[in-house]
Amino acid sequence: MKLSNILVAAATAAVVGTTSMAADIFVVGGKPDDPFWSRVKKGAEDAGRVAEAQGGSVTWLGPQNYDNLGPDAAELIRQAIDQGADAIVGPNWVPEAMDPAFQAVVDAGIPLVIYNAGGIEAADRLGAMNYVGAVDYKSGYAGGEYLAKAGHTNGACVNTLPGAANIEAFCNGFNDGMSDNSGTGSVLQLPATAFGDSTAVAQAVRAHLLQNPDINAMFAIGDQDTNATISGIQQAGKTGSVHVCGMNFNDSILANIQSGTQACAIDQQGYQQGFFAVSILNNHVMYGTTIPTREILTGPGVVDASNVDLVIAGVEAGAR
Amino acid sequence: MSSQIQTVAQGLSLGRIARRPETGSLIGFVVVFAFFAVLGGPVFMGAPGWSSWLNIAAEVGIIALPVGLLMISGEFDISVGSVVPAASMMTAMLAGHYDLPALVAITGGLCVGLIIGLVNGLLVTRTTIPSLIVTIGVMFAVMGLTLGFAVLIRGSTSVSYVPDPLTKALLGQFINGMFSVSILWWLGIVAAFFYVLHISPIGNWIFAIGGDRESARNAGIPTGQVTIGLFMASGFCAAFVGVTQVMTYQQAQVAGGQSFIFNSIMCVVIGGVLLTGGAGSIIGILLGTMTFAVVNQGVFFAALDPNIGSIIVGALLLAAVLSNDTFRTLALRAAAKKS
Repeated sequence: MKLSNILVAAATAAVVGTTSMAADIFVVGGKPDDPFWSRVKKGAEDAGRVAEAQGGSVTWLGPQNYDNLGPDAAELIRQAIDQGADAIVGPNWVPEAMDPAFQAVVDAGIPLVIYNAGGIEAADRLGAMNYVGAVDYKSGYAGGEYLAKAGHTNGACVNTLPGAANIEAFCNGFNDGMSDNSGTGSVLQLPATAFGDSTAVAQAVRAHLLQNPDINAMFAIGDQDTNATISGIQQAGKTGSVHVCGMNFNDSILANIQSGTQACAIDQQGYQQGFFAVSILNNHVMYGTTIPTREILTGPGVVDASNVDLVIAGVEAGAR
Repeated sequence: MSSQIQTVAQGLSLGRIARRPETGSLIGFVVVFAFFAVLGGPVFMGAPGWSSWLNIAAEVGIIALPVGLLMISGEFDISVGSVVPAASMMTAMLAGHYDLPALVAITGGLCVGLIIGLVNGLLVTRTTIPSLIVTIGVMFAVMGLTLGFAVLIRGSTSVSYVPDPLTKALLGQFINGMFSVSILWWLGIVAAFFYVLHISPIGNWIFAIGGDRESARNAGIPTGQVTIGLFMASGFCAAFVGVTQVMTYQQAQVAGGQSFIFNSIMCVVIGGVLLTGGAGSIIGILLGTMTFAVVNQGVFFAALDPNIGSIIVGALLLAAVLSNDTFRTLALRAAAKKS
């Protein structure tokens, strides 16, 4: 089915591309059945409705699996060039493998937007028009800032994967978000044996809270660690006095925010990444417009009690 | 072989105590506990500290017991690492996605463990592939199936489920807000395994199989059935932990559980079980698990770098194997003197 889609898209591209001034935009992204990427795809397709109304198209190119991510994604970028793309959107997941393919896009004079991964540095290095996405450090910062501004000024970031660059970036951001708002932040480092083990995370959080009774705010990365952190707080008898924000959300996290056991969730808002990357390129191809703001941040978006009902509606629509 | 050691080593004289297979683990536990009691202070010695490490010990302990029995019989089970998430996913899927009653969901989750154990057991007994390889293979297959089905059915890698109060109380509650009910289940399972290994005739069969499988079969022991039964017990116990995790954390995740593989083996080896089979005891495994949990939690109370905890566990593991050898030599020498 996927192949036939690609063929149809290629055929359309060949026909439409030569006959009219419409934008055929190719979006390279994750597997369409990946929950996060399905939202990015929806954003891209929703923005693509404008392109379609103008006679253009949006084609999603995703790998079958993530086993060989860099080379597979580079191959998809080259496919997009070969199929006569008027504009290309792609994430810079593995720069070593993907940079040459992105370079080929720019060399062919095809407008390029980097999204989701790589940051504005990648866009500058490759000569892309812009970067659309979230930055881990700023997501962590938003969590720290949110909690400190709510008056919970002694925070700890739960790091279940010490040494992983993105987790360190989240935690550094959290600590800076705390200290810039007259709070203090620290990191609770867990041993590697605790990764993926909710009980180990919960017990570590609880022990840490009992030893450090001044802590009143916590930040955890990912749904599982956030749920485990909440359990640790409950077991320490600190529900209501220690407040939690976490990265990402799912049904149970949203339920926690509704019931008040979790203060906030930080979202990188994947829908926005697909939507704005496609919009920027479509308008550029059609009308030559640009967005002079460099680095379009789609995150951090904060989900808390004030907007959780709207977010739940967004989840049902497949956009969040 | 080791059943002889045990009969020889009964009694209370110091020399005899020193020759009991659990002695090394007991010394290890006392030293480690005293170390963290001094560093951790009153919080570690109080109820919060005790419950903290007991909660950890209960989960890994429930898995370590059957893994220990398998090791005594000379087999490994690596697949527990994927049975935990598979069973919790099955339970959460049945109850949270299909809205079936909790009892059906729990039975479904436990059956996942039993079936995986049966497959392990059949592959190990019917082929000549070593159990280490069989269970690694099964682990990867189960991991893939769990992820595949979760994405296929649910379109997501996690399923959340809020259990009813009774189920929560039985499987996912914290007594006094601190002590996980899993601790009680763990003690019950310890008693059951103690009966199997040290009182029922099956225990001697397990030791005999671990000592020498060929001779055991020639002596009329149904080695195949015992091995399959042990693998099913290990699948069941890992699945049980998976089920309690759903009830405790109210969600299931396709990943996770990997830490149980090495952690359970570590508890068993620190507890004095011989890696090549034929020797070990339930009390030893219990002590090994407690030691492991105290180190793991103690580092947080002692405000040490958690990596120091990993170093201590690693050192304990090596010390345990070394001291096991020493104690076994002592015991064998004593036995030789008598005869």
